[in-house]
Amino acid sequence: MRVWRSISSSLTVAEMEARRVRHDPTELFTRLIQPALWLLIFGEVFTSIRAIDTAPYTYLQFITPGILAQSVLFVSIFYGITVVWERDMGLLTKLLSTPAPRFSVVAGKSLAAGVRGLLQAVMIFVLALVLGIKLRLDPLDIAGVFFLIVINAMCFSSLSMLLAGFLKTRDRMLGIGQAMTMPLFFGSNAIYPISLMPTWLQSLAAINPLSYVVQGLRAFLLSGDYSTIPLDLAVVGVFTVVMLTGASLMIRRLVE
Amino acid sequence: MAASELHSSAPAIEVEHLTKVYPPSIRAVDDVSFSVDQGEVFGMLGPNGAGKTTTIKMITTLSPPTSGLVKVFGVDARTHPEAVRSTLGYVPQSVSVDSDLSAYENLLVFSKLFFVGSKDRSERIRSSLAYMGLADRADDLVKTYSGGMMRRLEIAQTLVNRPRILFLDEPSIGLDPASRLSVHESIKRLKHDYDTTIFITTHDMGEADDLCDRIAIMDAGRVAALGSPDDLKKSVGGDVVTIKLARGEELPAIPKQMALVSNRNGSTVELLAENGDEAAPQIISFLDSKGIATESVSISRPGLDDVFLKYTKKHLEDSEDAARANQSRRSFMRHAN
Repeated sequence: MRVWRSISSSLTVAEMEARRVRHDPTELFTRLIQPALWLLIFGEVFTSIRAIDTAPYTYLQFITPGILAQSVLFVSIFYGITVVWERDMGLLTKLLSTPAPRFSVVAGKSLAAGVRGLLQAVMIFVLALVLGIKLRLDPLDIAGVFFLIVINAMCFSSLSMLLAGFLKTRDRMLGIGQAMTMPLFFGSNAIYPISLMPTWLQSLAAINPLSYVVQGLRAFLLSGDYSTIPLDLAVVGVFTVVMLTGASLMIRRLVE
Repeated sequence: MAASELHSSAPAIEVEHLTKVYPPSIRAVDDVSFSVDQGEVFGMLGPNGAGKTTTIKMITTLSPPTSGLVKVFGVDARTHPEAVRSTLGYVPQSVSVDSDLSAYENLLVFSKLFFVGSKDRSERIRSSLAYMGLADRADDLVKTYSGGMMRRLEIAQTLVNRPRILFLDEPSIGLDPASRLSVHESIKRLKHDYDTTIFITTHDMGEADDLCDRIAIMDAGRVAALGSPDDLKKSVGGDVVTIKLARGEELPAIPKQMALVSNRNGSTVELLAENGDEAAPQIISFLDSKGIATESVSISRPGLDDVFLKYTKKHLEDSEDAARANQSRRSFMRHAN
């Protein structure tokens, strides 16, 4: 009963987000600009100058999973701001005053980030195909990609909501969001192989959940070698569960 | 615990020695005790910062009390928070509808979060919207609504749960007089039609007077006085003598046995007197003897304003700035999109 209630309320909170996107999908398009620039400019230039050795794949192939993961990271890492904004409005207070279990409000919000992340990923995917980037298009691989994208969004949005419980204001959240995105992005294997990094950065990349998301996406989209998938899912999954639990304990601090 | 298991004879709310201390040592609510009967409209009146919203948050289980007991229909809020939340509807002070969705969608989401069965949902949403006079705008995005309509929608949103108790935090803040009136009418209708227990916080005397069966006057986290509006006014005793001075000059000390100055606003002076009819001519001749001319005099029964003054030694108007800030937020919210 309780489990069913939790799942059903999480889905309802996520449904709210899906309905918002349906009423106003503008953000999906404006958010496409940055990944498009990464692929079109950065990707094309580095492919042609062959500065980074990514054999057997072209550099453009190599960074496509990285850019997918990065754009979803960017959507999710600012999710704490949405929650703070909804607190300022009174919407969060109202959500928490329903009998829905507290955990499901947080899980629902992170699923909502998953919804946005997924729509984002579909658009980047289409863009990659238009650019003629060779990717594996087996339905099961695509399903795996979308699953990882949703977990990726849940992972970083719950981290963001956990921080929101501590920081409590939009300005602080904006600051911390900006301070975190670049280290997470550059401190991962998204745009260059970990082996090319200095040692200290390698150890950072090894504990960065984004690296495991990208590694998993590469397995689905490029290599078809699933040997790392259990580890990737385990790392991102455990991180997500820990963050979700922390965030649902902390979210009440926002409305107290 | 289902709503049906709640004690039908218990008071709607019982609060004992409720205290909330915010770190480091701000006593937002300080040893407050009261109870609210089923079907009653109970008001908390006080300036911003008096602890009204914090009290609501503790009763609605949003914020854990530092100490003290809260029971809603006999159910302990601390041990059964979800059972308590399933009986109530809460309209927070700031806008709590999603302006990016339609009215129908807002209610749909909340009917699901209140676990209204899928068969009943559509009918309950339609009837809640119709009850609050919003049926014809059901499919419009909420961002196109006026402030008053948003307030009514927020109440409609709680009605999908058929709440036994409704919490309204400053229900008419930032509303124009016509919207305010329509919100007041809805509140009275809810009490009349469904015998819903209603808990209101307000800093508006008129609102408390108009709506509430009983009022708790809050000041600095404590209940300064509690009773029906009439009893509270009677407890002030005497009459209010309002004198308009011909010129806005300095007022000499008026003898205490004659009357007490309770308020001065420009050239208008309000005084509390045991018997207004006797005191008024005395005050005028006293002022006359000091060379101060009076333009007009009126005598009235004390209002809640005077009650507030008597129990807190403060004027409620001191909180007006905060109220204005809130009002601008609401209109900002409406135009942000």
